[in-house]
Amino acid sequence: MTPVLATDQLVKRFPGVVALKGVSFDLRPGEIHALCGENGAGKSTLIKTLSGIHPHGSYEGRILVEGQEVAFTGIADAETKGIGVIYQELALVPEMTVAENIALGREPTRGGLVDWLTMNDQARRLLAKFNIALDPETRVGTLGVGHQQLVEIVRALGKDSRVLILDEPTAALASHEVELLLEILKDLRKRGIACIYISHKLEEVFAVCDRITVIRDGATITTLETATTNRDEVIRHMVGREIKDLFPRKAGTPGDVLLAVQGLCAEPAAGDGITLKNINFEVRAGEVLGIGGLMGAGRSETLMNIFGAWGRRTGGSVRLKGQPHDTPDPGSSIRRGLVMVTEDRKKLGLVLDESISFNMSLSSLDRFTKGGLLDASAEHVTNANYFKRLRVKAPDMEARVGGLSGGNQQKVVIGKALMTDPAVVFLDEPTRGIDVGAKLEVYELINELTAAGNAVVLVSSELPELMGMSDRIVMLGEGRVGGTFIRGQCTPDQLLAAAIAAHDAPSSSSSATAR
Amino acid sequence: MQRLSFRDFSLVLALVAIVAVFTWQSPVYLDPRNLSNLAVEFSIIAVLALGVFLILLPGQTDLSTGSGVGLFGGVAAVLLTNQLWPAPVAMGAAFVGAVTLWALMGLLIVKQRIPAFIITLAGMLVFRGLHWLVIQNNTIPVRTGGQDNLLSSLTTWYLPGWAGWVIVGVVAVTLGISALKARARRRQHDLSVDDADTAFAGWLIPVQLLILLVVVMNQFNGVPLPMLILGITAVVVYILSRHTPFGRHLYAIGGNAEASRVSGIPVERTIVTAFALCGVTVALTGFLQTSYAGSSSATIGQYLELDAIAACVIGGVSLAGGKGTVAGVLFGALIMTALLNGMTLLAMSPEFKLIARGLVLALAVWMDVYLSRRR
Repeated sequence: MTPVLATDQLVKRFPGVVALKGVSFDLRPGEIHALCGENGAGKSTLIKTLSGIHPHGSYEGRILVEGQEVAFTGIADAETKGIGVIYQELALVPEMTVAENIALGREPTRGGLVDWLTMNDQARRLLAKFNIALDPETRVGTLGVGHQQLVEIVRALGKDSRVLILDEPTAALASHEVELLLEILKDLRKRGIACIYISHKLEEVFAVCDRITVIRDGATITTLETATTNRDEVIRHMVGREIKDLFPRKAGTPGDVLLAVQGLCAEPAAGDGITLKNINFEVRAGEVLGIGGLMGAGRSETLMNIFGAWGRRTGGSVRLKGQPHDTPDPGSSIRRGLVMVTEDRKKLGLVLDESISFNMSLSSLDRFTKGGLLDASAEHVTNANYFKRLRVKAPDMEARVGGLSGGNQQKVVIGKALMTDPAVVFLDEPTRGIDVGAKLEVYELINELTAAGNAVVLVSSELPELMGMSDRIVMLGEGRVGGTFIRGQCTPDQLLAAAIAAHDAPSSSSSATAR
Repeated sequence: MQRLSFRDFSLVLALVAIVAVFTWQSPVYLDPRNLSNLAVEFSIIAVLALGVFLILLPGQTDLSTGSGVGLFGGVAAVLLTNQLWPAPVAMGAAFVGAVTLWALMGLLIVKQRIPAFIITLAGMLVFRGLHWLVIQNNTIPVRTGGQDNLLSSLTTWYLPGWAGWVIVGVVAVTLGISALKARARRRQHDLSVDDADTAFAGWLIPVQLLILLVVVMNQFNGVPLPMLILGITAVVVYILSRHTPFGRHLYAIGGNAEASRVSGIPVERTIVTAFALCGVTVALTGFLQTSYAGSSSATIGQYLELDAIAACVIGGVSLAGGKGTVAGVLFGALIMTALLNGMTLLAMSPEFKLIARGLVLALAVWMDVYLSRRR
């Protein structure tokens, strides 16, 4: 049987990183094929290559449709070859009706005007074909997320897709909506439409998929028949690697509790997003607490909420250095000794058009103010101090931050945080997108901080980093704690299993504690 | 010292071209008498533009300043002329009113999250209506019983010739000392310093411009008081924007509001303060403009909000926020004034003056967009 879609030794390079290192897999007609892998394993890059976002010529290797090599020039080209992608974030226009959304970009016209009757008719027929009970004239914004997802699928199928790629389609769905979606997928299979299904939720993968391909570090590790494998085997392949001595963690004896979080509950201040449910942890002076979990587990949200930059707190208490810290904002958190290095340094960390010194002292200006005026000398001396200590590579401190490399930008953000003289430091993915050398410097800095009696909370998607640098690890899933572990007394499999368990068990609040 | 950019250069060229065209069309353009008028008009636009600058820096906008100028000039005139309040008290009351209203607009913007464009557009209409109510659609003179007072003297009083020279001396010495100090400090911290010639030029050029100004103004009645008010305003805004945490916060918010918030900057308080400070310049400009016109009438301050924004944008202030300098704003205001004054001098009809104003505004914004795209 000729695979409907296949890749042959696909290699995709970005400046400084090889995202795909030879991915080969094939998709049979009418099968549901799961792609599994840790965050950053290369799944998204693979999808982007398959769907034409990374066009032909930007990668090495071959993509084959029905056995023929194809050279997609862009998304539209891939769509005409029958490949439809449904992304994690919905791409619908909420103000328009179901029919308008399905027809978006290829509205039927008559004499230059939109032919509303035909449009609604086409939508009705498509919806009926897949047994979806939706009125084509309903405004999409009034539908639940699950139904919106279905509209998106119908839209993709309306383009005569032979292959449907679903990227975490159930991330935002309630359980009954998930079941509906899985039923539709099974129905599509009967019609001979092949699906690539990407999900962290192994339960769903085992419920509908025929085969599972595991990707790790940008390479396909293995392809398993769902019928003859099990969850543990899949997780083992996903984690796979040994944790090398890349992580120079020097643990000391923990001191007083600096931050205690009890029963923290929070919800998004506006719009959709993860809800935090009953989160408990504490961090002591001289200790690194790691927080892990899959994408969308609520790791960043937890830190941002404690810091006062995300969501509305609905329950629980936070104590910072023994004092209640229940209605924080970033300013008051910083004044009281809690600082955060955010994950998205360009959006939340830096004023890109300004200089290194402007950015580094931004959170500490009060310290350099005498009689209402900034003391340029004092500011400069301190800036120069951090500039040297963090070994920022730049011509001088007046260089524009936007022109620096990722690693050096990160050092500036960390410098800004440390200059506030914090007791507790939140580091959210501090090594994402920076090279190995800069990573090591960040690890050294974490050691320096804890040696000086600070507490560090480290969020990381990379299990090796999490296990290598943390003294204790909390795994989150779906906004709740899936388990708490001690360094050296846990395996990657256990950690991942705890995160997935929290994902897969939305109603229970059990925690697999191994302390 | 930063080098002159292509943009700075083209602005100087534009000014030279404007002056050349108007002088050719009407040789009295460069007469000391007209230049003295031009200095007063420049001060009026520039003071307001400096206030608007503080609002544009954090990425906000203000369309209501022109109406505010009319309203608070009118309030002062009515309290003075109809209620017979002493001028300082009348002006003080108007001043408090302006600051309060502007702080209130700032609060509505940050607390209720209504876009500044809408709030200040509403303000533009409301304040103009209030202005007409206050003056009862009359013309309210600023002089009562043929007597000069603080309000009417604002634009009719000139510094004696010697006072102009004292100011030149003080500014030259202050500039020199602070430049030397800054140089020594940069050396001490191993920062790059300009070579002596460039540094000297950086001191000499502003001082020479100032000497030229005093020479020309002294050929007429002396340096007009509004220039002094503008000078003080400019120094205050310069210090606020470059040498206080508040100013840093303005630039940071305009550069990246989200990052500023996460960095612990009191974003809301900073924006409200910027609006309150703009209210100060609105009141000041209201007094100056009304005094210059001799009375408060229905059209005082009309379109001034657009002139102020145009002056800022011409001077390199980004409408997206985060960019701009006091010197740039002053230069932009100078170009606007040179243009408006010249058109009045040529007795151009109001129709064409409006069209020219509009085109200049569009051109200035296009330049802002074009230049920021090119970098």
